[in-house]
Amino acid sequence: MGYGRYLAIRLLNALLVLALVTLLVSVLFTKVAEEDLKSSIQEQINMKLRANPELQKSLAADPEKFQQWYQREYSRLIHAYGLDKPFWVRVLERTKDTLLLNFGNTKTPIFGETSVKKIIAAAIPRTVLLFTTAQIIVILIGLLLGVKAAQVAGSALDRAVSIIAMLTSSIPMWWFGMIAILIFSFKLGWFPSGGMTSTPPKEGFAYYVDILYHMVLPVGTIVFVLFGGWAWTTRNIMIGTMQEDFIMAARAKGVPERKVIYGHALRAAAPPIITMTIFSLLGSLGGAIITEGVFNWPGMGRLYWTALQQNETRLLMGVTFVTVALYLISMILADLAYGYLDPRVKVGASQRT
Amino acid sequence: MRWVDVKESLKDFWFEFKRQKGGLLGIFLLVLLVFTALAAPYLTEPDIPKKWTTYWEGNPTNVPPVWYNYFTTKKLAPHKVLTYDDLKITAEGQDLGGGIKYYAFEFDYNNQYDLPPKDLIIKEIGVQLADLNSPAQIVITLYRPDGQKIELLSADLVEGSIYQIAKIGIVRNNVFNWASQFEDPKNLQGRVETIKSTMDVMEIIFAKTEPGILIDPQPLHGDYKFQVEIFTFNEGDKIDLKPMQIVLTGRTYGLMGTDYKGRDLWAGLIWGTRVSLIVGVSVAVLSVLIGIAYGVTSAYLGGWKDEFMQRVNEFVASIPTLPILILLGAAFKGHTTLWTIVFLLVMFGWTGIAKVARSMALQIKEQTYVEAARALGAGTGRIIFKHIMPQIMPYAFAVMALSVPGAVLTEASLSFLGLGDPTAVTWGQILYDAQTNSATINGYWWWVIPPGLAISLVALTFVLIGVALDRVLNPRLKRL
Repeated sequence: MGYGRYLAIRLLNALLVLALVTLLVSVLFTKVAEEDLKSSIQEQINMKLRANPELQKSLAADPEKFQQWYQREYSRLIHAYGLDKPFWVRVLERTKDTLLLNFGNTKTPIFGETSVKKIIAAAIPRTVLLFTTAQIIVILIGLLLGVKAAQVAGSALDRAVSIIAMLTSSIPMWWFGMIAILIFSFKLGWFPSGGMTSTPPKEGFAYYVDILYHMVLPVGTIVFVLFGGWAWTTRNIMIGTMQEDFIMAARAKGVPERKVIYGHALRAAAPPIITMTIFSLLGSLGGAIITEGVFNWPGMGRLYWTALQQNETRLLMGVTFVTVALYLISMILADLAYGYLDPRVKVGASQRT
Repeated sequence: MRWVDVKESLKDFWFEFKRQKGGLLGIFLLVLLVFTALAAPYLTEPDIPKKWTTYWEGNPTNVPPVWYNYFTTKKLAPHKVLTYDDLKITAEGQDLGGGIKYYAFEFDYNNQYDLPPKDLIIKEIGVQLADLNSPAQIVITLYRPDGQKIELLSADLVEGSIYQIAKIGIVRNNVFNWASQFEDPKNLQGRVETIKSTMDVMEIIFAKTEPGILIDPQPLHGDYKFQVEIFTFNEGDKIDLKPMQIVLTGRTYGLMGTDYKGRDLWAGLIWGTRVSLIVGVSVAVLSVLIGIAYGVTSAYLGGWKDEFMQRVNEFVASIPTLPILILLGAAFKGHTTLWTIVFLLVMFGWTGIAKVARSMALQIKEQTYVEAARALGAGTGRIIFKHIMPQIMPYAFAVMALSVPGAVLTEASLSFLGLGDPTAVTWGQILYDAQTNSATINGYWWWVIPPGLAISLVALTFVLIGVALDRVLNPRLKRL
């Protein structure tokens, strides 16, 4: 199977997932919209009654007539709002809104906005800032430590890396965040317990320093929980590569050990390492999202938390849809990168290894 | 495979496994966890799951565990419940003439703490009044080690009366009046009302009689005696002291402290083991079995069927689990059961193993002995179950163990977001309560640390077992 076909399949796959999620979100959307509309219909009928005292008088005398009138009004409005159409028709109608990211408004303002679209637009860059910073640090530490451990396989350092990887992969990241707040914020008082800036926000240069100061704990948490797994993966891939014949050949030629490792081995191990990077980046997104909520960082994670706490279903749909879309885009990018980096990529062959 | 072979291979396996120190530790932890899960009703109480969703009346809220005292300089009073047997009954129905009957009892409290109990609650006094309009009378007096006597309360006693000493206005007034005779008048100037409404009654009645008693009470250690007297005024009035309970609400509680509902966190921790193990293990076993069946079938069918099954697999694998789970969880909110969670996790969990099982089956399918079996007329079922499955199963066990942590962590994450089974006692849900009640910024460490450690312990147990199994069963990794 060629690279082109592989990519086409992956693309199709992503589109299918997107369609499924769109459908799911739309079904939920339809349900929410129906509830909202029904309560608004009740209100409208009551308003009409209140605005017309004569009607009120004539209806109050005869309960049966009132019932009839009420039913008539109710079905008229139901029809006017299209609620009498079959469920799946309404779902399809909502699908358009979902795809255009028209999720409507939240009940109470979040980040000073009520439009779901605007709220999410405000949140994304903040999440990217936090998450990317943490990931870069994780990758740097992980790579260096992993290569080092592979170099001295079986040593104390190597074993330490394995143990740290096992321990940290068992820890829920968000819980570790809570512990970090307990220790560094409550007990020692070194760092703020949450948020992105002080209230009120500082001005000028101090504003950016303040953001950095608020980033220390969440970034530290993400790095601590993820770096061990990273180092371990890198180590395993590197050890596999170091046993290849071309490494032996390079050594036999008298190439200095440093160059063997960073020049030959690391270059050969780069494609799997980089794909692993991207995929586990995507994988850790979930944990990081919840962690963000713990630190009250005003990004996508906070939105999940707020949406669940305050029953803001529209916001939840929006956030989920955007998260999935971002995830799929990154996945396609990872596939592209993989194919580009590793000329051997042939799906048929790679499945056997 | 015959039984002897199984025995032989198990022996070989154990011989190899014994050398994996991590694996042995994992087995030990697993035994411990399973024991805790099974013994939960005996280690705590059997009706914890039923009680868990309610407020635990009478328990102090948000207090640390008893052993916290070993680490602080300020000693905190533990929770104490006194029943009929702990009381010294001095009078039971003594006739004072004129239809008045007199009941009295005493109890001692040895205060060796810097912070005395939060409250003194007297409840469940068995009162039966002949005339509801003429209540009985209760008088509570405190005799202090320094010879001081405080008349705390003198009030009506009717059926179902509960006295929370520190919260009753009359008591607060009495205590204030008693204490203000020792207080430096300068401290009281213009602040009487503030002090009256904010003072800690219990701290004051257990404090040294010196200036500052109302502002910054210093504890007076020693033996205190509470005397409770009850007077009834009608012939038919009946007082039964037997069911009575006296609660000295602690500043510390039990082995793990309490949360905002006064629940004993130790009980929650123990019972949480069950949910965590059940969810983790059933998700792992189910998804591995489904994955293997799927992968092997796919490999065996071959051709366009295989291609199709692979595409379906890839499709499911590229669904980002957590956002979808959150969305579904929100849609089911309040009706989620443990099995819903297991079902959802299995739905997304089988793909990885299916892929590996397929490629293993593809290799095995081409082996000569399979070909020979087929030539001898073996059917599809026989080949799959007699030749392919036995080869894949050992590997399956390692994958099962290694997929438990993911399931445990995801379940905990969902519960932490408030999307778990609302009726189950889970660690994630304890942490959810901690988060929504700002336990971290209030420093309620006993509420935050243990549940997370427990989650990590379960995950670690299976990681250890899984890695060891993988090393033993997957010889390629051994040299690493």
